[in-house]
Amino acid sequence: MKQVNEEYFMQAVGNADEINELLRRYGVKFGIYKNGVFNEQFFPFDPIPRVISAEDFRAIEKGLVQRVNALNEFLFDIYHDKKIVSDGIIPEDFIYISKGYLAECEGITPKNKVYSHISGIDLVQAKDGEWYILEDNLRIPSGASYPLIARELTRIAAPQAFSENRIVDNRGYAELLKETMEYSNCGGIRAILTPGRYNAAYFEHSYLAEHTGSVLVQNDELFVEDNVLYQRTYSGSKTRIGVLYRRIADEYLDPLTFLPESLIGIPNLMEAYRSGNVGIVNAPGNGVADDKGIYYFVPKMIKYYLGEEPILKNAPTYLPFYDEDMKYVMDNLEKLVIKDVAEAGGYGVVFGSDLTKEKLEEFRKTIIAEPRRFIAQEVIDFLDLPILDNGETVMRKADLRAFVLSGEKTKVWASGLTRFSRNPDSFVVNSSQGGGFKDTWVLSQ
Amino acid sequence: MKRVDFYYSTKLTFDDYVHDHSFALRIMPPVTDTQKITSCDMNITPYVSVKQTVDAFGNNVTAGYLKGDHRFLDFEIKGTAEVDNSKHRTDYMPCYLYQSRYTQPGETLSAFYNEIKVKCTGTVQDRAEYICAALSDRLSYEQGFTDTSTTAEKAFSLGKGVCQDFSHILITLLRMDGIAARYIAGLAFCDGETHSWVEYWTGDHWEGIDPANNCPVNDDYIVLSQGRDFRDCAIDRGVMFGKHTKQLQLVRSILS
Repeated sequence: MKQVNEEYFMQAVGNADEINELLRRYGVKFGIYKNGVFNEQFFPFDPIPRVISAEDFRAIEKGLVQRVNALNEFLFDIYHDKKIVSDGIIPEDFIYISKGYLAECEGITPKNKVYSHISGIDLVQAKDGEWYILEDNLRIPSGASYPLIARELTRIAAPQAFSENRIVDNRGYAELLKETMEYSNCGGIRAILTPGRYNAAYFEHSYLAEHTGSVLVQNDELFVEDNVLYQRTYSGSKTRIGVLYRRIADEYLDPLTFLPESLIGIPNLMEAYRSGNVGIVNAPGNGVADDKGIYYFVPKMIKYYLGEEPILKNAPTYLPFYDEDMKYVMDNLEKLVIKDVAEAGGYGVVFGSDLTKEKLEEFRKTIIAEPRRFIAQEVIDFLDLPILDNGETVMRKADLRAFVLSGEKTKVWASGLTRFSRNPDSFVVNSSQGGGFKDTWVLSQ
Repeated sequence: MKRVDFYYSTKLTFDDYVHDHSFALRIMPPVTDTQKITSCDMNITPYVSVKQTVDAFGNNVTAGYLKGDHRFLDFEIKGTAEVDNSKHRTDYMPCYLYQSRYTQPGETLSAFYNEIKVKCTGTVQDRAEYICAALSDRLSYEQGFTDTSTTAEKAFSLGKGVCQDFSHILITLLRMDGIAARYIAGLAFCDGETHSWVEYWTGDHWEGIDPANNCPVNDDYIVLSQGRDFRDCAIDRGVMFGKHTKQLQLVRSILS
């Protein structure tokens, strides 16, 4: 905290209520489905920013660019020659059992070979200062709009916090996103496809559309004719769409290729995509690369594709699929965190230390029965961050979602979404689990 | 080698006008090592502009969009093929070794596999033929009990089904036995509509086997599409808007 001007910094804190009120008024919400019921919650904003020094950020940035470049190479390889499998780096099973692998995407090469245009990489900083990668999100990572709007409002509430501190302006995200979309544009306008008002991240869809100069569309105004994607206009004519930033999951994208029952998809979108007539951001089929089981292999990918040593570390991870790792997991289950590879959003995460003796025994049997379903990780003792709780500063667990955008070059957005757990005993910071968020300040020197 | 003239048609009729009708057809037979297409004409009415692509599994996809009101969609193909099963196809994909949507085994199929696996020995071909014969003893060919959404597990527990169900179940069992297998949709002399059968990977090429008739595939079969299961191979898929509640589908195929 020494690097920032405390006095003005605290101005932002002093205006916390005002900022939260503004966020509420702007409708910064997060929707959650629980037991089939849709609830919208305000995503609580904590005014104490996370501060990342310029030096720290440069190291993270280099590591993230390297990681995302390797992941993009991996996706191209998997949907073409599969050399990483034939060279014995990744066992075949891990690719084809993964729910994220889509055989329908075999042989498709997206424009300029970019698969993961927008990557949300989750990191944590350990108490010793070292950063670890927790997971990669290469499908439709959300969250960039929250720190953007929080920054915008904090600037209004506490302008001096920014004039008196050397903070990298994060308002360039929209420009960066626009550039990224344009690099994959196959000729036409830019569009952001939302499933609609009742989606968890609808606020974000509309915000990003407005700020990138893209049209916000739903499927009922789109159609594919002669393998070209069009938007119907009010006058009855049509406008060609060259790049579609879609915020719906792969399986729902095209009812004629994937789930026939999908009502939010666009029939024959995949034909237009395969023909090179439209760019899809991010590419369908990316789930094979951010599978929790594949995560283990990312450092190996970096060596394999780039011939480089990984700059950022994975959390120490074990795959019960391998006998040696299975033994370690069985012997140390009570101190490990176990993740179900098929789950996301903080679901399916179990801490061995939370389980009773009987439950541990039961869980061991489950792991032995389905070794491919789980990964085990050491619990990283991550750095607590201060948050404001009813006027008092308390320490809570937090992570950082960094956004890496791949256009002509791979770039890291100098900001990010810092999420924290409001529960003092919890390590799970996902917004769907009731966490809050902070702004992330990257210092310019 | 056999010269085969083929004809296939589908008439889709709706009980009310439909519009904004998108469709994807897999009816143009692909040119492969075992089938040369010397001529093939396609007709679609009402007139609609279409585009051809080749999908991930090597199928010819004909995609179209009918914007205005219509009450029917007819499509037909007519052509000549030279079929030669003394040659072999080698277009392998690793995904064919893994269970897919329709083929996930449940309790009854797992139990059946455990029952037959001891006798399942020898070459890949021996094993495939043994499994196919065992299946043919257990399942009876009867129409009207299953539909295009029926999974292998469901059909097997019913104990009856049509060629699609036979194919799915055989694929499940082959994959459980570590043999890569794929679903084939096509035309055959034995069937007046479309037929389906299975190809299994011997280690260096595909061999065709027809589980509904428990026999190997010869030059009397024409491949229209292939994939992991029915979902990848559907001859026609479509999405349309309108107040219609019923659609009638008439399918005819002739090989000569």
